[in-house]
Amino acid sequence: MEVLSCAKVGLVKNEKSILQNVSFTLLEGQLLGIAGPSGAGKSSLLRLCNLLDSPAAGSIYYKGKDILTYNPLELRRKVGYVLQKPYLFDGTVEDNLRYTYTVGKKQADITEIKSYLAKLNLPVAVLPKSKTELSGGEQQRIAFLRSLLARPDILLLDEVSAALDEANTLLLEALLKEEAAISALSVMFVSHNVQQLQRLAHAILYLENGQPCFYEQAKDFFAKGELQHE
Amino acid sequence: MSNLSLALTFSLVALALVISYKEKIGLEKDILIGSIRAVVQLSIIGFVLKYIFQLNNIWFTSLILLFMIYNASTVAAKRGAGIGKVQTISFAAILIGLVITLGGLLSFHVLSYQPSEVIPVSGMVVGNSMVALGLLYRNLIALFADKREEVEVKLCLGASPHEASRNLIRDSIKTAMLPTVDSMKTVGIVQLPGMMTGLILAGASPELAIKYQIMVMFMLTGAVAISAFVASFFAYQGFFSRHAQFVK
Repeated sequence: MEVLSCAKVGLVKNEKSILQNVSFTLLEGQLLGIAGPSGAGKSSLLRLCNLLDSPAAGSIYYKGKDILTYNPLELRRKVGYVLQKPYLFDGTVEDNLRYTYTVGKKQADITEIKSYLAKLNLPVAVLPKSKTELSGGEQQRIAFLRSLLARPDILLLDEVSAALDEANTLLLEALLKEEAAISALSVMFVSHNVQQLQRLAHAILYLENGQPCFYEQAKDFFAKGELQHE
Repeated sequence: MSNLSLALTFSLVALALVISYKEKIGLEKDILIGSIRAVVQLSIIGFVLKYIFQLNNIWFTSLILLFMIYNASTVAAKRGAGIGKVQTISFAAILIGLVITLGGLLSFHVLSYQPSEVIPVSGMVVGNSMVALGLLYRNLIALFADKREEVEVKLCLGASPHEASRNLIRDSIKTAMLPTVDSMKTVGIVQLPGMMTGLILAGASPELAIKYQIMVMFMLTGAVAISAFVASFFAYQGFFSRHAQFVK
C-alpha cells in the first residue's frame, strides 16, 4: 500500500531552484534510499515530506491526501524526521526521550525506552546523562530513538549513521529492518554509504542538481553499477 | 524655583558640552539638541496638561491615554521590526496591561479617574511597558535566530509552534521583566525614584510619597508582566507559517 508519494515536486528557496520534478512512491514497510552528491537536494526533499517547507510545485500525498490538507502537527507525528546533525535539547537523555511522549500526549513508557536502548547498544546508564557527556554517535542514536518513539508510519532519516562505527551502524540497520517488517514502518533514508544502500534499500532514488536521475528497484540500480563513481 | 534659577541650571549642560568637546566625545550637537528639545517638549506638555486638567473630561482623558499608548507602541514596534503585525500587537499589549492595572487601582480606590491622577500614572505604566516590549522583541528575534535548530527539531516531533517556542518565549518575558523587578528590589536603597522625589520636592510628606511609590512599583510590575505576556503570545506566531513551518 502507498503511504507517501511525490508528484512532480519542485522547491525554490531564495529564488534558487533546489528541486525539480521529483516523483516517487513509498510503500508500506519499504526502505527507500535517497542517494546523490552533496547539494543535490536530498535533505530538502526530506524537509518537504515532513512539511517543514512547502513545495513550490507539485504535491506530496500521505495516504492519498495532500499533506497540506493535514494538521501539520499530526502529520509530523506520523511522518517523523531525524535531521542530519543530531540536536538534543538541554536536560538529560531521558528528558529528551520523554519529550516525544509529552508532545504526543501519551504516558512515557520506560520499558519501551529501555528495550530500544538495548537494541541500539546504549546502556540504561545513558538516561541521566546530558548531551555534553555523550559522543557524537550516542547523540545520533538518541535523536533517532526520540523520533522512533513517536511510532510514526514513516521515518525520514538524514545520514542517520554518519557518526556511527560499523558495528553500531549494522545494529541500527537491523532495527530499521525489524521495524519495517514487524510494524510496517516505511523509511526514506539519505545515505552516502554505498554498502548501506545495498544492505538496506528496497528502492533507490538518485538525485543530481535537484532532479531525479534514477528511481528504481535497488537490485536493478546496483546491477547497472550506477554508484561506482561514489 | 524662579525662572532665572532654572535658566542658571543650564550651566550644568554647558559643563557637559565642555567635557564632550575637550575629550572629543562628539556629543555636543546631541546634548544641545537634547536640552532644547527637553525644554520645548516639556513646556508644551505643561500647557497641554494644564488645559486637560482644567477640562477634566473622561473621554478626552481616555483619548490622551490612547495617544500615549499609540506613541509607545510605535517605538516598541521599531525594536521588533520584522515581526508580523508588531505595531498592532504592541498597541494591544500595552493597552491590556494599562486597562487591567489602572482598572485595579481605580476599583481599589487608590486613584480616581481624573486627568491629574490618571495621566501621570499611566505615563509611567505605558513607558515601562514600552521598554519591556522593546526588550522582549529584541530577545525573541535573537533567540529565534540562535535556536532555530531546537525549534525545528521540536516541530519535527509534532510539537505545536507554541510548544516548540516555549523556552524562547519564557526567556524573553523574563528579560523584559527583569529591569522592573530589579528596580523594585533596589528601590530606596540604590535610588529614590522620580515620582517619589517629585512628590517630596513639591512638598508632600515622605510617608505619602512612599505610599504612592509602592503603588507605582506594584502597578509597573503587573503592567510589564501583562504586556510582555500578551505581546509574546502574539509575536511568536509571526515566526511560523499557517502550516506550522518556521519561516524566519
